[in-house]
Amino acid sequence: MALMPKRVKHRKSQRGRIRGNATRGNTVVFGEFGLQSVDAGHVSATTIEACRIAANQYIRGVGGKLYIRIFPDKSVTARPLETRMGKGKGEPDHWVAVVRPGTVLFEVAGASLDAARDCFNRVSHKLPIRVRMVERRPGT
Amino acid sequence: MSTLDVIAIQPRTNIGTTASRRLRRDGLVPVNVYGHGEKEAFGTVGADVASAIARSGAKVVDLKLEGSDEQKAIVREVQWDTFGTHVLHLDFMRVDATQRVTAHVPIHLRGTAPGVIAGGRLDHHLHSLTIECLAVQIPTEINVRITSLKIGDSLHVSDIADLPPGTTVLSPADEVVVQIVEPKGEADATEEAAEPAGE
Repeated sequence: MALMPKRVKHRKSQRGRIRGNATRGNTVVFGEFGLQSVDAGHVSATTIEACRIAANQYIRGVGGKLYIRIFPDKSVTARPLETRMGKGKGEPDHWVAVVRPGTVLFEVAGASLDAARDCFNRVSHKLPIRVRMVERRPGT
Repeated sequence: MSTLDVIAIQPRTNIGTTASRRLRRDGLVPVNVYGHGEKEAFGTVGADVASAIARSGAKVVDLKLEGSDEQKAIVREVQWDTFGTHVLHLDFMRVDATQRVTAHVPIHLRGTAPGVIAGGRLDHHLHSLTIECLAVQIPTEINVRITSLKIGDSLHVSDIADLPPGTTVLSPADEVVVQIVEPKGEADATEEAAEPAGE
């Protein structure tokens, strides 16, 4: 089951604009290596789930733990197929996480550098944004 | 302990966001020096020097401000840019060599645990330790040997013995630093593998 909020205050939200860089959630906190976004964009719940499965399938073999640092808390509406325009806003269709440049999307703990690189390489092919691998900052 | 040379700080008169941005464009990093009952000082260091300080993990450095003697200071805060590539700002707090201070020191794991060789997973929970010691004795890192940990074993803060003399640990003694957990069972693996087929 893909990630989605349990309860929301408002079912539908406006699209919005993604401006600036990430000022929070931009450091590796739980593991030793992280996958950081370079672009801004929306990552859907199904994409996060696909990344989780791809990463876990790989990481199970080498020993390690995956942390997901983003959560899809923004609803995206869509109109049913073959309907005319108008008649109000469409119904919620799926959930997305808003990602700014610098956001750490995933982290890996307990794995070697090569294993983490291979793992993130598999994950990066499933993402709609450019990413790069980062290490925990020295002294933290 | 610090292995850096004495850091010369050039004074700056213009403070604030705009002035700081201008300095960064010129390859400088704004720094603040405060504490020890003296007036705060605003200055700059070169971007390469700031980066060296931040990446060395040094806790105590020697500063030389213009018009004053050499003094010791703790690297209180390091501000990085979004991508963690450039240092934006440094805060130094003046200290006396005989003063006891609180510091967060990174924990470094040494050796390979037999539990990991046996197929267990290493969970590193606590990455830094809060300690109190003399300002000049703050270690750059604390080494923790994990060569005796088997599957199911855990190492707590109270088990860390390799500390410099006169150091008091302030982190809770029962906090887990590292543990070796059993790998996921075969049942979980089958369940995970079945999920993509269902999508």
